[in-house]
Amino acid sequence: MADSLPTEFDVIIIGTGLPESILAAACSRSGQRVLHLDSRSYYGGNWASFNFSGLLSWLKEYQQKSDVAEESTASWQGLIHETEEAITLRKTDETIQHTEVFCYANQDMDDKIEETDALQKNPSSLTSSTLTKPLDSACLSEETHSYVTSYEMPAKDIPKNDGEISLEVSGVEGTLAEEKYCGDETCRHTVSGGDTDENKPIEEDNTDQLKRNRITYSQIVKESRRFNIDLVSKLLYSQGLLIDLLIKSNVSRYAEFKNVTRILAFREGKVEQVPCSRADVFNSKELTMVEKRILMKFLTFCLDYEQHPDQYQAFMQCSFSEYLKTKKLTPNLQHFVLHSIAMTESSCTTIDGLKATKNFLQCLGRFGNTPFLFPLYGQGEIPQCFCRMCAVFGGIYCLRHKVQCLVVDKESGRCKAIIDHLGQRINAKYFIVEDSYLSEKTCSNIQYKQISRAVLITDQSILKTDSDQQISILIVPPADSGTCAVRVTELCSSTMTCMKDTYLVHLTCSSSKTAREDLESVVKKLFTPYTEAAINEEELTKPRLLWALYFNMRDSSGVSRSSYNGLPSNVYVCSGPDCGLGNEHAVKQAETLFREIFPSEEFCPPPPNPEDIIFDGDDKQPEVSGTNNIIMAKLDSSEGSKNLESPGKHLEN
Amino acid sequence: MQAAHKEHLYKLLVIGDLGVGKTSIIKRYVHQNFSSHYRATIGVDFALKVLHWDPETVVRLQLWDIAGQERFGNMTRVYYREAMGAFIVFDVTRPATFEAVTKWKNDLDSKLSLPNGKPVSVVLLANKCDQGKDVLTNNGLKMDQFCKEHGFVGWFETSAKENINIDEASRCLVKHILANECDLMESIEPDVVKPHLTSPKIVSCSSCAKSYRPQFWRATVLEGQRLPCYFLLGFGHGL
Repeated sequence: MADSLPTEFDVIIIGTGLPESILAAACSRSGQRVLHLDSRSYYGGNWASFNFSGLLSWLKEYQQKSDVAEESTASWQGLIHETEEAITLRKTDETIQHTEVFCYANQDMDDKIEETDALQKNPSSLTSSTLTKPLDSACLSEETHSYVTSYEMPAKDIPKNDGEISLEVSGVEGTLAEEKYCGDETCRHTVSGGDTDENKPIEEDNTDQLKRNRITYSQIVKESRRFNIDLVSKLLYSQGLLIDLLIKSNVSRYAEFKNVTRILAFREGKVEQVPCSRADVFNSKELTMVEKRILMKFLTFCLDYEQHPDQYQAFMQCSFSEYLKTKKLTPNLQHFVLHSIAMTESSCTTIDGLKATKNFLQCLGRFGNTPFLFPLYGQGEIPQCFCRMCAVFGGIYCLRHKVQCLVVDKESGRCKAIIDHLGQRINAKYFIVEDSYLSEKTCSNIQYKQISRAVLITDQSILKTDSDQQISILIVPPADSGTCAVRVTELCSSTMTCMKDTYLVHLTCSSSKTAREDLESVVKKLFTPYTEAAINEEELTKPRLLWALYFNMRDSSGVSRSSYNGLPSNVYVCSGPDCGLGNEHAVKQAETLFREIFPSEEFCPPPPNPEDIIFDGDDKQPEVSGTNNIIMAKLDSSEGSKNLESPGKHLEN
Repeated sequence: MQAAHKEHLYKLLVIGDLGVGKTSIIKRYVHQNFSSHYRATIGVDFALKVLHWDPETVVRLQLWDIAGQERFGNMTRVYYREAMGAFIVFDVTRPATFEAVTKWKNDLDSKLSLPNGKPVSVVLLANKCDQGKDVLTNNGLKMDQFCKEHGFVGWFETSAKENINIDEASRCLVKHILANECDLMESIEPDVVKPHLTSPKIVSCSSCAKSYRPQFWRATVLEGQRLPCYFLLGFGHGL
């Protein structure tokens, strides 16, 4: 952090979303000198996860976007030679729109809570909280990259009104909160406020038990760090491209997962569990014996449908839903297969439906009872895992690092350098840029799709069972033909994405209107707003909403490379998150671009055997290489299985 | 199985500015050698050191170097996650690296804490003390005061080159982690199934005390649902 950036690289990657991070790992792994930049203060771009106060800061940045002051950036015009031209990049991110926040939980006015653990802010938008923090600012040197800054969101600042909250934090309030903190903490100066808040979680948990289901807003703020709220809601298919890549590249060593425990269906106003494995089908209480037999027969057929063309050939032209009707499936079963197993739109063709059903069935049972995995601590971990791999193989990381322009050589038409916000010129051979960094001029021909998202914090599961630790996915079919199905993912606290006694619910669909217009009807069907008055009413069979956020995210996944204006051939573009459930699009894109740039290199091969790595390359002692080597986690060695988790060991006992 | 035998696995971080000797310390500690020939740390996640703590206890330490490339202070969460302790290293011959110590410590505390909310144990290493220019640490009392103020559990003048105090520093850190872990064990809810505590071989690892990972690990491991990826290999599939 103390020294300045080198100026020669092979590859410069701008943006730390999933495809860029995979590419960074792949390039660095194949020996390229990689510089990986992000203008934001956090990893992942729109693939990031935030704790609760981090999410509030993120929202604030988008809501305040209008008054983002142009920071004093070094001028770059003088650095462009006569034989060159510049392609400027976008200064502010415009991929998030229509953010709306609703708070239903009780906003206890007396409870004075400060939460200081939030994402680090951009130097350009440091708020008063940093300035009023004498101890921290004393530690900060004069560097432009403020190293440790935190951001307070005192709960008492949130006015109690009709449920819609403002995210304003005035400087005055921040000062008061900070003074209180300093006064209490005279003996432990440098331990950050976040820790002091968390000093007594155990006692807190006990009181939680007494007044269960009465989560207040200040508790959510106080337990902010227990939340890891994904901007994109995705799952990993257990036989999908991302899992295969994680395992193949050994990046998996950095990640942990939980199996999604239930597939749910929403039919006739009721949430029910979909039986998908053989055991599920036979144990199901909802299905009759006849239905069980029909379903098993159909699913068994789907597993190798290609072998039985006679069974579906006549229906190639029909939709999958039409086809299901001909298979003697009851309406119940048709619904399960169409929406919960194939997870397709009603209009999808028979062959696509069969393909999706087969994929689902093949993913079943690899790791558990459903085909899906969820990364502990949220989806935002995954790009970071690849970034760590890139760094371990020599990639250099700089967050909060803006790029002003790409420098193009007029004669060859190739990009040769970037100029960063410090006015430094950094040369490279290849440039990979995430779509949201490209300027309006570059993207003027492009019509973007949008994703509608909702994030809810609730107090109960949408389908209660004896275990309160369920991870569920539910597809709510469209109410009318003009709209899209809504994907609902419900996460419990053991996924490390929400506090105890709450659930984190993600809703996703491709947009037709704003996120709230698209999703509110589904939210109302499944949940009821939290109010003190409603406590004894029958509405209480539904889980209660404590907090809700709606936003739209731009979906650039369908944009083809040729739609961008005037990009040199050695500038490659990665798209932001797509609307799909899996991560296949990002992995495919990363692999395709990598093969385009380095056709002869292997894509993310496993790291070399630890025995082969010469630590520090000490030439003087080649003969004792055995002791000179470093031990790394091996995929299959005993040390590897001991590494951090030792499930094998635990299970053996 | 054998009589009570405890095994601990701890992830330790080695943090500090570029060129303060993090890699040399790890290399000295784990491989008992030193090279003045400098090269950035490439391709290596962590080094493993096995300590026979006492006749009943084996401690395995994973020493995680910051990939020198994350040196601009932008470490991934993967790096911090589940660590139980850290060494923060500075170079006694370069005062600027000492000034950065509080930054590193604040950063660490803001990103990582034990399940009980306490910060992880951190030992401060004043490295390159063999070079005799350690004006900074001449005043031991002042350093003690500094550690107290900034929440370090101890400090050591070390030299990776001369192998001074590295074992001692590590023992100090491990001692504090073990003591902390006893607290953590007691703070775990009583009604959680604890088959591992009664089973003959107690395997305890830093994952048991993940930052913000409370009691679930026992129950979920039993259910076989916690699935790190290496565990996923070689699984069959199908209905």
